[in-house]
Amino acid sequence: MNLQLFLLIIVVITALAFDFTNGFHDTGNAMATSIASGALKPKQAVGLSAVLNLGGAFLSTAVAGTIAKDLVNGHLVTLQLVFAGLVGGIVWNLLTWLLGIPSSSSHALVGGIVGAMIAAAGAHGVIWTGVVSRVLIPALVSVVLAGVVGAVGTWLVYRINRGVPEERSETAFRRGQIFSASLVSLAHGTNDAQKTMGVIFLALISYGAVSRTQALPPFWVILACACAMALGTYTGGWRIIRTMGKGLVEIHSPQGMAAESSSAVIILLSAQFGYALSTTQVVTGSVLGSGVGKPGAEVRWGVAGRMATAWLITLPAAGLVGAITYWVVHGIGGFAGSIVGFGLLVATATVIYLRSRKTKVDHNNVNAEWKGDLTAGLDEDGKPGLAGSPFDNGEASAAAPHAQAKKAGTA
Amino acid sequence: MSHWFNYQASLKILIFGLLLGSGLPALFAIAVRVGSAGAGVQGSDGAAVAHKNPALAAISYALYALTLAAVVVGVLYVAREFIGAHTGLYILGAKPA
Repeated sequence: MNLQLFLLIIVVITALAFDFTNGFHDTGNAMATSIASGALKPKQAVGLSAVLNLGGAFLSTAVAGTIAKDLVNGHLVTLQLVFAGLVGGIVWNLLTWLLGIPSSSSHALVGGIVGAMIAAAGAHGVIWTGVVSRVLIPALVSVVLAGVVGAVGTWLVYRINRGVPEERSETAFRRGQIFSASLVSLAHGTNDAQKTMGVIFLALISYGAVSRTQALPPFWVILACACAMALGTYTGGWRIIRTMGKGLVEIHSPQGMAAESSSAVIILLSAQFGYALSTTQVVTGSVLGSGVGKPGAEVRWGVAGRMATAWLITLPAAGLVGAITYWVVHGIGGFAGSIVGFGLLVATATVIYLRSRKTKVDHNNVNAEWKGDLTAGLDEDGKPGLAGSPFDNGEASAAAPHAQAKKAGTA
Repeated sequence: MSHWFNYQASLKILIFGLLLGSGLPALFAIAVRVGSAGAGVQGSDGAAVAHKNPALAAISYALYALTLAAVVVGVLYVAREFIGAHTGLYILGAKPA
């Protein structure tokens, strides 16, 4: 086997791994508010989201344009560089997942590729105006637009439903949320599966396995990407779902539906008007808006601030990982270089996974009461502890005896 | 300036976003409220405090149907290129490749 084919295989495997992290990192975008409001049970939600992501991946037909096209000089792209960029994206996705921070998977990928490009060819290989106008500014615009739309929607919903018995409106909006969440999932699947397909497609073209004029990637690429992403989605990024659904704002179903409608509409509109906004930032903006728009609701601006910080360092951090990976892979060179690079990726992923097992967040405790940060009040077994039962939105004092009784009952 | 920040697209997204993204949940809320008004209220003794109103219930269902239709259009919009490529029906502004 020659080196290029070996590299190609490594790139394809790594790209699918990135797709997997993309799936579980972004499940929360579509489903967090439905899970938090109790509209869907956690397992149902990730299952539905996985199916819609799978479907969405097949629906996307315009894959030829990759997200890297306007950001780096295409002539300088090599397989080693694509591999290093993917590693940067994966490592940053895993780290932010460990911390429960919903950062953007596309930013992580862009950061990784830009960093690898700087390591490979220097700063002139990067199209900086593209990075600012296509990545950085849209991120800010996403939060603001989605925040305004989400806030207005939530305010209207609560204003109109004043005087309607709360039980009745909760039930109705829970049903409505199933539709709004599904729409977000579908839109997300269509957008995000394309990114990885584009990367693999690019690798195949640079290897020469696929002609430059071909508009669509081979069917196995679409199938593999759709499955990797759906599998990731089904695994459920519970840590991120928890931050999105419980950490930022306490979400009730009318807020959830308003937030999801705002997200779905803005994602679709941004595609319509040719201004690619980032899904993660749109959804976060909508959730924040749903907290601002509901009279008397509390927004945890501290959590929002930590998220914003993570967004700011996503590009440089993923870029640094991408650059280091490139130096390692290219520096050692040949088969050994790629094997060492891949081995380091597997080792890093394993360490992060083991760390996450220390205080597990899963479908059992994803909705436990928020006690200041992601894992506070959760015990080692991943049970909600005394903090509250999974579907309790009430105060700690009311929830504690109930949870205790429940725990005693299951013990 | 527009080289860095696409303010035209942003403004369009904001306006249509407010109409659809805030408007649809509001429409849904109206449906809930009208439905609630039409369902009547029963007192603790089982006697009607407020009577049922079938007309309001019908309006409520119509509004629910309208929001559902909007969701269906949304799905078709997402899938429009795919539908076009496989059936030859180019809907909602889809363009043949």
